Amino acid sequence: MTAEPLRLRNLSPVILRQRLASASLALDYGAAVVRVGSDLGGFVTDLQRVYGAFALVDAAFADFHTQVRRGRGVRAYLRPQSRFLIDGVQPFDPFPQEQALAHFEWGVNWCFAQRFNQHVLLHAGALALADRGIIMAAPPGSGKSTLTAAMMLRGFRLLSDEFGVLCPRSGQLWPMLKPLALKNRSIDIIRDYAEEVILGPVYRGTRKGDVAHLAPGEGSVDARRLPARPQLVIFPSFREGATLSLRRLPAEQAFANLAFNSFNYELLGATSFNAVADVIENCPAFALEYSRLDDAIEAVRSLLADSTAARNGA
Amino acid sequence: MSDHRAAANPFHLLQLLREPGRVRDLQLSDWDALIRLARRARLLGVLAHRIQSRAEHLAVVPDCVRGHLDSAIVYSAYRVHLLRMELAALDRVLPADVRVAVLKGGAYILQDLATARGRLPNDVDLLVGRDDLRRSEAALLAAGWEAQAVDDYADRYYREWSHELPPLRFPEHPMEVDLHHTISPVTGRLRPDRALLFAGLQEVAGQRFLVLHPLDQILHAVIHLFQDSELVDNLRDLVDIDSLLRTHLQSTEDWLALATRAGRHGVERPLWYALHYCHRWLATPVPDGLPLSPPPIAMMRLMDWLYPRCTLPRLPDRPPTIGRRVAVRLGLARYQWLRMPPGLLLRHLGHKSVQAVRWRPAAQRGAD
Repeated sequence: MTAEPLRLRNLSPVILRQRLASASLALDYGAAVVRVGSDLGGFVTDLQRVYGAFALVDAAFADFHTQVRRGRGVRAYLRPQSRFLIDGVQPFDPFPQEQALAHFEWGVNWCFAQRFNQHVLLHAGALALADRGIIMAAPPGSGKSTLTAAMMLRGFRLLSDEFGVLCPRSGQLWPMLKPLALKNRSIDIIRDYAEEVILGPVYRGTRKGDVAHLAPGEGSVDARRLPARPQLVIFPSFREGATLSLRRLPAEQAFANLAFNSFNYELLGATSFNAVADVIENCPAFALEYSRLDDAIEAVRSLLADSTAARNGA
Repeated sequence: MSDHRAAANPFHLLQLLREPGRVRDLQLSDWDALIRLARRARLLGVLAHRIQSRAEHLAVVPDCVRGHLDSAIVYSAYRVHLLRMELAALDRVLPADVRVAVLKGGAYILQDLATARGRLPNDVDLLVGRDDLRRSEAALLAAGWEAQAVDDYADRYYREWSHELPPLRFPEHPMEVDLHHTISPVTGRLRPDRALLFAGLQEVAGQRFLVLHPLDQILHAVIHLFQDSELVDNLRDLVDIDSLLRTHLQSTEDWLALATRAGRHGVERPLWYALHYCHRWLATPVPDGLPLSPPPIAMMRLMDWLYPRCTLPRLPDRPPTIGRRVAVRLGLARYQWLRMPPGLLLRHLGHKSVQAVRWRPAAQRGAD
């Protein structure tokens, strides 16, 4: 790929609006292509901001066909709402209209978790340097998204923040590159963390608190079709004032933490057991406690280098 | 760029179900519509199995499409697993001396029929004799299964005019259990011969549960589709019938036996329709000259207009045509008419319309 792609941020808003009105805008996340249509002006503006680096693609095939539509009936005038539809079906209640983008992001996650059972869907973020993949797994509230966002801003390739998409056939991680949803305090932390931070609007008081979306950078977007081989598993946790600490986890504990938090572990049965076991067999796993992002990132960088050296030496 | 909506033709889906080798003729943009149509018809897993049965078919399927086929197969296997778990749980609590048959999807799985491959079982359908119904229900309730919330009217509707009890579910179990005492509504125009039905029950090696006689299994699927459904969005049921016919009937004598058995159950007309559409859409090898009298010409024309509009899947990108909406209404009217005698039907519709005009908050009506 040499030619610079036409990115959504360079598209005239009028053209983008037309594309969305005719439901012919395709978003290529790597593992999945989502076609989206919308009649909501505010949604178009927000989408262009957080998907700015995404390439305009002509996809002959889309995995999901979605719509973000205005609410209907009297309520549409009293309290404007947005509805998310997949194949004409509305799987959950409408959102306030100004939160349409958050609604869409949530909807795409839902579609993916429901329908992409060809992959093991780890509840984990994934990053990479070239094709060397890092799985970041942790329960909500542990600072995983903040660290993931900071790593992307420091030159790691973001594959995904919500889904570790593990292909059981190849053992590789697929990008499912979506805007990274930051919550509450981490919004300001990341806004101040680097020069080139592009954040969408802050949606106050969603069911997950305040949410803002970090736009993935060009490097991650342009590599969205390049899978990575898992090489390191990190379970991060943020603790105010903590000095950096690393603890190597026994394989059985790392396996349980990773497998039993996946979206579809039970559904895939033996396939997911084997896929996760392969990851744990091939990757060292560490619990990482941190308070300073820079320290955590350096620690991950050197663990990845060690893991690579160990693998090449072996 | 090709128009991704141009290929949304349900007959392409039918063709692919018949001849999975046609995958080699498909463009990526054809798949865009086909996967959606197949999923909408709940046939994606079935289609996936048919394509994956031959390596040379699979070799020409693009990777992104293959992912959806793999996913559908995984999901179907999971539903089958859930169904087996539910049957195992039911086996433990149903009184040992009650003869219990499994109907429909559960039976196809126990018998390991080709029909089960890639299919998504919805719930568990059991059949017991009328005399054993109360005892079976009581055993399940005592063991923790709970009747799903239905109002008094619906409860009475089930118990007096239907052929099954209100659905039961064990808390947290994903599958509902429907307890039947026959295979068509007791108030319906057609009433299969229950003595023949129960006399034909067959054992499955290594299983406690019985299954219907193979011919009754076909006729049950036929009755379910053409007698006891609204005909809407149920292409899957026709695909089941096609598969059962191909599995259970090997010779002309078998086909004649099916026609004869349909006569004894009084369900020749639904069978005629099933064979007509199976042959036309799925190329089922139905022999000529079966002793089944066709419906009157006018009726046949009406069904030929109505049935495809009701049952073939469509994409939701555009609103349904007037023709489709009228057909869906007629399908519903036909269903009600076949299900109840006129007096009861009037009463039932009266109750439903009173309910419909009662004020309900918008949130409860949900999305269309």
